[in-house]
Amino acid sequence: MKRSLQAGLLVLCGLGLLHVSLFTDLCLRYVKEGMRPLLVASGVVLLLLGLASAVLDRGRKDAEDESHGHDHGSVPGVAWLLLLPALSLLFYAPPALGAYTAARQPAKPVATHADDFDPLPRTSPLPMTLSDFTSRVRQDRGQAVKGRSIRLVGFVTPGGRDGGWDLTRIILNCCAADAQSVKVRIYGGPALPANTWVAVTGTWHPGGKLGTGSAPVALDARTVTKVARPTNGYQDALPLG
Amino acid sequence: MQKTGEPVGVLVGAAGAAGAGSGPEEAGGEPGGGLPRFWPLLLLGAAVVPGTALFLLGRWGDAPAVQAWRTVCLAVTVQALPFLLLGTALSGAINAFVPERVFQRLLPRRPGLAVPVAGVAGVVLPGCECASVPVAASLIGRGVTPAAAFAFLLSAPAINPVVLTATAIAFPGSPAMVLARLLASLATALVMGWLWLRFGRAEWLRPVVRHTGHHHGRSRWDEFRTGFQHDFLHAGGFLVLGAMAAATFNVAVPRSVLDTFAGAPWLSVLFLAGLAVLLAVCSEADAFLAASLTGFPPVARLVFMVVGPMVDLKLIALQAGTFGRAFAVRFSAATVVVAVACSVLIGGVLL
Repeated sequence: MKRSLQAGLLVLCGLGLLHVSLFTDLCLRYVKEGMRPLLVASGVVLLLLGLASAVLDRGRKDAEDESHGHDHGSVPGVAWLLLLPALSLLFYAPPALGAYTAARQPAKPVATHADDFDPLPRTSPLPMTLSDFTSRVRQDRGQAVKGRSIRLVGFVTPGGRDGGWDLTRIILNCCAADAQSVKVRIYGGPALPANTWVAVTGTWHPGGKLGTGSAPVALDARTVTKVARPTNGYQDALPLG
Repeated sequence: MQKTGEPVGVLVGAAGAAGAGSGPEEAGGEPGGGLPRFWPLLLLGAAVVPGTALFLLGRWGDAPAVQAWRTVCLAVTVQALPFLLLGTALSGAINAFVPERVFQRLLPRRPGLAVPVAGVAGVVLPGCECASVPVAASLIGRGVTPAAAFAFLLSAPAINPVVLTATAIAFPGSPAMVLARLLASLATALVMGWLWLRFGRAEWLRPVVRHTGHHHGRSRWDEFRTGFQHDFLHAGGFLVLGAMAAATFNVAVPRSVLDTFAGAPWLSVLFLAGLAVLLAVCSEADAFLAASLTGFPPVARLVFMVVGPMVDLKLIALQAGTFGRAFAVRFSAATVVVAVACSVLIGGVLL
């Protein structure tokens, strides 16, 4: 691999990282917000390294490499593989994980609540996260969600036996390789294309015994409205504002 | 001139690398000599092939499965790059600035004692497993006995404070899990180091010739920069290779398959060990994943967290690139066996 090409490759990698982390929000499709400063720093380092290599190594190419024929001159062809992520980040960034991944996973188990649940706030409709709703339905013996109007935000994962769909959130721990999903079955909503982000208002879909594992994690939808994908789309958080 | 020429060569290289992994030869081979006799054919090919390739890539690249594959592959790469950069910068610095006698003074003379010291020293390298491979390579290059460097390589990603804190957060209320992870990882690293002393052969290792230390008459900063650049490009290529393999597994095998193995204790231990190798989750995140595998017994989850940072697809690719394939295959296989044994023993006592 020629030195000028090495420099070009480093610059491209650096630009790719800076493009997704500093100039746009694209990196949030792949990693968590906390990684962002590290990505910016890595992009700057790679860019500087590439530029330094382009400037400093220009004059002395072959003479020096021959004298130290064995050391840093030769980089094997496998380094070219770095081009794929670099170009992909720059020009062809794949979308965030969505319905395809969620449909192929079982829902993430919700942590068992050690102590009693607090009473729910009185706002109606009450905004809740999908995990919160799940643990209320499955574990709250006080049955606080019964009859309450609840508002959930997530994206549409079609499928299932009755032609309905799941309201879904994908949660990351570190990067998109360890994605897990939480799902709430929606009854009575319109059929929507996969990956549409919606806010659903409705009441708990009765079945089994509320507050035990037999209760279905499901909602009878009253209204379904389309919303934009939140910037923190990889968390199961309440919509901001 | 060079600037304008680059992207073209780059694109040809990308297509070649995607197809057969032999990009540079193809890119460099064409403009040699005069015009070949069948040049109209070449011209036609040059006009048609890129367009068709782009069209097919566009059609096929938007299928949900392919998109998910690209997302996961890119995510693993992007997540690991900062740590790889840290590791290669550190290895470049060790190579250029740290004289050999420093390590001779720090580590005990006898290799059998150097192994535990190096294993415990793994605490100081914060970050995940990608950083430790280049650092271990540069340690060997500076005269550290390979057994000690391997103990460091295995222990560093598993026992540093960042990873242990993440484990404590992922398993709230069970400090035994954190302790078990620390002890089992350390034990595995030491046993592997001593095994290498006893059975390891130098010829399995690719001669680490490129780390030659400081030459007289060359600027140390210059050596640092070129070493850093070389190591990063080299390891980065293998990282992408490993990320592709991990993404393929991640997308091809649905997570629901896992739960079928949860019932039988022995099967679940072996299954989670295999899963840790195939998933290639970063060591800072694997505790959260292990915590979510609620159907599995605690010992099996411990195995997942001990094996993961030591052996996985991207690490095997990185090690094969750095130390040679003969080494990577033997070392990884032995490590899996030792890691499973250590975690079952320690987990059996503590959990």
